[in-house]
Amino acid sequence: MIARHLAIPLLCLSGLALLLNACGPAVNRYALIDERLRAGDAVRADTIVEEAQKEYGSKSQVLYRMDRGMTLHLAGRYDDSTAVLEKADQEVEQLYTRRITTQAKAFLYNDTELPYEGTAYEQVMLNVVKALNYAVAGNLQEALVEARRLDHRLNVLADQTEDKPDAYRDDALARYLSGVLYEAAGDLNDAFISYRKAHDAYLAAHSWSRTPVPPMLRGDLLRITDALHLTDEHAQYRQAFADASWQPGADPRQLAQVVVVSYNGRSPRKEDHFLDLPISLDALRLVLLTKAAIGPQSNTREARAAESVFYGLNGRIVRVALPRLIPQKTAVAYEQVSLVGAEGSYNAPSELIQDLSALAARDFSERYNALAVKAVARAAIKYAAAEGLARGARVAAGRDAGPLVGLLVGSLAKTLAISTEEADKRGWRTLPDEIHIARLWVPPGSYELRVRPIGKGGSQVGRETVHPVTLQSGETKFFTELALP
Amino acid sequence: MGQGCAETQHASSQHSGLSTSLILACALLTSLAGCGAETKVTRVDSGVVTDLSGRWNDTDSRQTAEAMVKEALGTPWLDNYTRNHRGKQPVVVVGTITNKSHEHINVQTFVTDLQRELVNSQKVTFVAGRGEREEIRQEREEQAMHAREDTQKAPGKEIGADYIMKGYISTILDEADGVKAVFYQVDLELVDLESNVKAWFGQKKIKKVVERKRTVF
Repeated sequence: MIARHLAIPLLCLSGLALLLNACGPAVNRYALIDERLRAGDAVRADTIVEEAQKEYGSKSQVLYRMDRGMTLHLAGRYDDSTAVLEKADQEVEQLYTRRITTQAKAFLYNDTELPYEGTAYEQVMLNVVKALNYAVAGNLQEALVEARRLDHRLNVLADQTEDKPDAYRDDALARYLSGVLYEAAGDLNDAFISYRKAHDAYLAAHSWSRTPVPPMLRGDLLRITDALHLTDEHAQYRQAFADASWQPGADPRQLAQVVVVSYNGRSPRKEDHFLDLPISLDALRLVLLTKAAIGPQSNTREARAAESVFYGLNGRIVRVALPRLIPQKTAVAYEQVSLVGAEGSYNAPSELIQDLSALAARDFSERYNALAVKAVARAAIKYAAAEGLARGARVAAGRDAGPLVGLLVGSLAKTLAISTEEADKRGWRTLPDEIHIARLWVPPGSYELRVRPIGKGGSQVGRETVHPVTLQSGETKFFTELALP
Repeated sequence: MGQGCAETQHASSQHSGLSTSLILACALLTSLAGCGAETKVTRVDSGVVTDLSGRWNDTDSRQTAEAMVKEALGTPWLDNYTRNHRGKQPVVVVGTITNKSHEHINVQTFVTDLQRELVNSQKVTFVAGRGEREEIRQEREEQAMHAREDTQKAPGKEIGADYIMKGYISTILDEADGVKAVFYQVDLELVDLESNVKAWFGQKKIKKVVERKRTVF
């Protein structure tokens, strides 16, 4: 009889748990995006992002715009990319003001209820990609506006992290790109300041950034201090970079420059890491049995729904959800960039400028302790609230129906508490794993630009790309490449 | 009977307590769910100052152009020129206004505001800038090929400018704890095209403080 009474509520519980677990973001779209990008179809990848705008949800519109801005950039729609990223930038600014109600809701439910504003390095990347959009489109003056914005953003970041010398406080890529842009515009003094800040940023973050000072930056500092007649600084750099190669004396107005920015691999993804904490011996047995029965499929939605129902019925299990960062390292070691034309043949390897996976790992480790404390506190509050609700319902239902009603309400509340527990796995996933830059100074003329991704073993991985390019004296042309072998 | 009544009252008070809790919970959930704002459009006069984000806006562009042209035309170089050229008005062209700020400012709007103020002042003769000239010359070339002879406009009759007005828009930003100070500086100069002498140098400064609250309910 009791079993028959329990059958319908149990079915309802299972359905509810499945429904709640299905409310999470559909992360499979990233697999589709990667597949299209790997096939060289950035236009289709962008369409996938565009069609998924509603799936991102109202709390993740900044993330949608970040993902979309990057796919539009890769698809060569630079104006559209800039417009979308500008909107994201403005929304990030508005999200400075936090709503107490939203914070409370996220504390009671899970962190995915918070509006996504991006990590510090993702916010920097908003300006970096916009600057590249302008630069590739040949609009150097507007690219410099983004360089100035980067400088301001990084100054504010440095002020905010004054007491944390090992934190992400400056961005070497942003500084280096700013230097390249200022130099291309003929503003050598600002270029020198940016190169010097890039050099300082590489040194300050060397313990975690997995990015040594690029050899080309040493050459840039020597070349520019020489051009500006900064004799003291030039002598210091000559002493510090005794083995650096650079070309003094060449008048940049007589040469043209090609800058190739390559995006290698994919940025890290995040997974849920569930800690199911039993608070009785029976509960421990149930957790062990459930884990053994479900096996390696425990991260699927169906498995999580089933676990939520079992644990909710048991009533002595607390679930804590924490994110786990999964790196997706690229197979590309560098790009071989060559310019072949009537004026001659010129080659240069690309150099690692930014390891975004290292930045993501740093950001993650800086925030992990706070995330863990919040997740445990949330789980404890949910459990206590579910217990309180069950007791209240038992008393309210009276002596006869009380135990059954209490059991049902308690199971329902605990299933709800467990099934709503989810880590915030959001992140700008259309960013690459690494960013490389190659620079070539060549006589003006018509060339064929070839970019060949080379793997760790020294052989070509992925497709070679070819672009015709015509260069005028003193001109700098920017190109971007995606290497996703 | 009495016991039954007491039990009924007890159950009733329990139900009432539960209902109150449910109502409170619903109210809390509703408040947590938040409330959306409807779109509202209000038509205002184009002269009304609308500082929304703190960024460079139409008011800054218009007010700066008005103030700087007024200042430029009120300084002695204009009287000196007309006196030395037997009452002839100087011919001015607006050159490049470079954006060296932290914002993507539509410089063309500012240039148009400058041009309007210069033309309306009636104190200088104003000629088309480089971009416009190209278009006008192309039109004349087409007239020479396609228009009736008596309506064609001949080349070589353009009026050369005596002065070029050029300048910069720069910004200095400072920000801490949600308070941002934005300092705009517009530098304009009037350069004699023959001698490269700078006849006038003007500066307009605008300072804005943008405050954002860290938390709201």
